[in-house]
Amino acid sequence: MKSDTLHMMLVYTKTIMKAWFQYRSNALLSSLTVFLREATGIVVIYFTLLKFGTLGGWNIYEMLFLFSLLFLTYGIMIIFFTGLRDFGKTVRDGGFDRFILRPRGLLFQLIFTNADWFAAVGHGGLGIALFLISAGRVGIQWNAVNILYYLFTVMGGVLIQGAIFLLLAALNIYLLETNSLKELFYWNMRKFAGYPISIFHKAIQVCMIYVVPFAFVNYFPAQYLLRKPDMAQYPQLYLYITPIVGIVMYLAAYGFWKYSLKFYKSSGN
Amino acid sequence: MGCFIDVRNVSKTFRVNKRAAGVAGMVANLVAPKYEKKQAVKDISFSIERGEMVGFIGPNGAGKSTTIKMLSGILYPDEGRLMVNGYIPYKQRKEYVGSIGVVFGQKSQLQWDLPVIDSFELLKAIYRVPEETYRKNLSRFTDMLDMESFLNQPVRQLSLGQRMRADIVAALLHSPEIVFFDEPTIGVDVVGKETIRDFIRELNEEDGVTMIFTTHDMQDIEKTCKRLIIIDEGSKVYDGSLFGIREKYGTTRQLDVEFGSPCQVEPINKVEIRKLDDLSGRRQRFTFENKEVQINELMNYLLAHYDVRDINISEPEIEGIIRKIYNGEAS
Repeated sequence: MKSDTLHMMLVYTKTIMKAWFQYRSNALLSSLTVFLREATGIVVIYFTLLKFGTLGGWNIYEMLFLFSLLFLTYGIMIIFFTGLRDFGKTVRDGGFDRFILRPRGLLFQLIFTNADWFAAVGHGGLGIALFLISAGRVGIQWNAVNILYYLFTVMGGVLIQGAIFLLLAALNIYLLETNSLKELFYWNMRKFAGYPISIFHKAIQVCMIYVVPFAFVNYFPAQYLLRKPDMAQYPQLYLYITPIVGIVMYLAAYGFWKYSLKFYKSSGN
Repeated sequence: MGCFIDVRNVSKTFRVNKRAAGVAGMVANLVAPKYEKKQAVKDISFSIERGEMVGFIGPNGAGKSTTIKMLSGILYPDEGRLMVNGYIPYKQRKEYVGSIGVVFGQKSQLQWDLPVIDSFELLKAIYRVPEETYRKNLSRFTDMLDMESFLNQPVRQLSLGQRMRADIVAALLHSPEIVFFDEPTIGVDVVGKETIRDFIRELNEEDGVTMIFTTHDMQDIEKTCKRLIIIDEGSKVYDGSLFGIREKYGTTRQLDVEFGSPCQVEPINKVEIRKLDDLSGRRQRFTFENKEVQINELMNYLLAHYDVRDINISEPEIEGIIRKIYNGEAS
């Protein structure tokens, strides 16, 4: 059974890859476009900080390290959760009906039949580039404990964002379209996440920690490794719980998804 | 319990968001959405035996697709009981769907950018089809549907008829016991339709696959199905043989008579007379109800009183009868 599931994942991935190779040059170009689009924002911040030195006590490399976590987790997340990001479309064009008709798990099919490799390569590539630039220059000791911490934290960050996408996909079943909610709660909040949250108004900080917890994707993990003084205003516990936040959020979103499926209405012909 | 497919008093109601036109309507809808209940299926019951081939027909929006979707496990019925092959489709989805195949004429399940054969290989993995079964089915079906020439072409390059054939094979590779076809010949040319019908019929007769299909093309039904279920406005209005529908509803008869020379026929009680062609009266049509007028008496009367060259009796076409049923004229 386990090897059968694994086999299925491989076959799905192979199929997606094949389809992409039909448009090879376009695929490369699209990845590059995503990379450059996201990198532009970073370049602006880079030059701004060159002029001002620090932002809330964070220097340019510490900032880039903060960014790298955001991009890397998104890059990994979108390999698995593209199907949830595009769930509204899948429902509308009847694709979800087809998933129901196949003897495989619904979430399994959604996850493994879609992967936005453009975004994965674009965001992930940028994340890796920023990591390579910054990781050696911010005084982190890359010992076994820190490496392990980093890996678990990345996984937690992936799950946190995956949970948000899963929650929005489940809401789709009631609303048929949640793009505006995604814009509001995911993409807008994500814009704050590139910066140390301590520089923002209290209300924004509360949102970033307790509502759409991007702070656990990159701010608290970066704090664990960098130990900047602005951490003093938050509970120390938050430095360690990113993987737990990820798992709890994902399980909660999964429960809601399971419950919501009962209300699924096919789009009709 | 004993029936292969058993549908008892099934109803399904959708909640439709009713929205006024324009920007004001959009805003109003956002603040206080109004919903309207639309009953797509009303208290439908029927049962189907293993190996039967049943045609589902009805006008657009009659509830055919909703019924098919409930039978295939996509939708939950609101009320009633639904059992197929010992499964409750929407409750035992994963176990159940392995034994059925579904073809949506309007929605392909093939990978748009890839050669047909790649989609087949993917389905083989999804349904865990043993290698031997897969090879056997693939070679048999491609042979029957004459698909050899385009198996390696990307789906986006196929004609509608080719794509439909590929979609039908895709739904059958795992040897399903029941196949649902939702408009399998839509948009396909005459020759293509004939190929598809032959294939469906052969699969039913030789392999005993139970088949249910919906269509708007009466030829599909006449050439394949022995049994017909007609749905209108969510309710079942007819369930029986194709032949039976003529007996029940097709009570009108037509007599086309060609006379030796143009002539004026005296009015006959309960018979409608209409001049055909050039209206000179050389050819005339007599329409009447089977119950009210004895056909042999009418013929004798005409032969005795007029110079008759040729007589042609025609039964009403199924299509015409069904149109009448939709319009609520038949009873």
